[in-house]
Amino acid sequence: MSQTTVVTTAPEPKLWAGGRSPYNVSYGKMMTWFFLLSDALTFGAFLISYGTTRFFSSVWPDPNQVFKAFPFMEGHNLPLLFVSLMTFILIMSSVTMVLAVHAGHYGDKKNVAKWLLWTIIGGICFLSCQAWEWTHMYSECINTWSNVPGQVKHGLWGSFTDVNTPVEEFRQFFNPHKESVQNILTNQPLIAMQSTHNFFNYFFTITGFHGGHVTSGVIFNILILVNTVNGVYERRGHYEMVEKIGLYWHFVDLVWVFVFTCFYLL
Amino acid sequence: MSSHHHQNSIQHLYEGDQSKLYSGVLQHHTDVNSEESKNQVKRIWKIFWILLAITIAEVIMGMFFSHQMPKALVAFFFLALTILKAGYIVAVFMHLGDEFKNFMVTVLIPLVLFVWFIIAFLADGGFWLRMNDESQARHNSAQVQQAPSHE
Repeated sequence: MSQTTVVTTAPEPKLWAGGRSPYNVSYGKMMTWFFLLSDALTFGAFLISYGTTRFFSSVWPDPNQVFKAFPFMEGHNLPLLFVSLMTFILIMSSVTMVLAVHAGHYGDKKNVAKWLLWTIIGGICFLSCQAWEWTHMYSECINTWSNVPGQVKHGLWGSFTDVNTPVEEFRQFFNPHKESVQNILTNQPLIAMQSTHNFFNYFFTITGFHGGHVTSGVIFNILILVNTVNGVYERRGHYEMVEKIGLYWHFVDLVWVFVFTCFYLL
Repeated sequence: MSSHHHQNSIQHLYEGDQSKLYSGVLQHHTDVNSEESKNQVKRIWKIFWILLAITIAEVIMGMFFSHQMPKALVAFFFLALTILKAGYIVAVFMHLGDEFKNFMVTVLIPLVLFVWFIIAFLADGGFWLRMNDESQARHNSAQVQQAPSHE
């Protein structure tokens, strides 16, 4: 290269003395990574506190019992099927995102726009699934009892902190085949109720926080799609913004991998 | 203030001319139909199939087998597969595997904290479960001992 002939007189600047990027990574991309690192610690804190609570509970709701519904297939026992679909959608949208980033590396404006559009569609599908699941979880827990005669209480929040809640209201969430679990439900129903309360608190907090990330990811994707179509990145000479938003989107997928394991599998 | 800057240099302030700072994956690519580009796309789809296969394996295991197996083995199996999936996503989809090794280390080292977090907090949870059980047992036996004196 022509540089080597020039450098012979001036000493090579030190790698860490400033004026160059020792990692060969731009400022924005590096800071995106560090932001994601801090976000990973946030989600990690959520999931670890979920784990701690679960470890000090002698019973815990069984995911195969809690998550067994599928839209338009009410009454069928289909454990984990719906969440598998959600996971598939998110992995798929991660693939379309990385294809958009790839097209960006080559300055291929048309394909960047195409794959970003698919990613946005995938994100919206995922959010719709989550909306259905939340609505379903909520309506499944509508009380059929009340300590005030003639009044039906709605929603699960109050019922799992109310000591008068009959055990039948939350027995459905526990493994019916395990004797030790059924013993606790019969003899110490309040312990099982506390676990149910904790389970749903963590479930809605963590999937809600994740869903918030997906929502903002979809918004970012729409913004960069508009910019791409308008030729902003073409004029800039590079599609690095697509790569940075791509990092964020993959991170959201990454978090889901852990949420999926902690809530639905373990 | 902004009148000092030409339109182009304002954009410079936001993004800078960072095209020279791109990592290995982004350098000297021009043709999207090149062999290199096609191989990269092939690799992306390969990772997709791997992730899909791992997820299907996890779901089948969770649906049919996890209840008959020892709890620790199930946890190990699921966590190992989860970390494998995470590794593929970070290394290939996020291109961390294509960055300089020093940058990779800089990003990943702080995550070592999680090892301590997980050990400490889960141990704490287990400890409280034992404490609760013991105090419950003590409470029960105290009640049994007191019971005759009430008569």
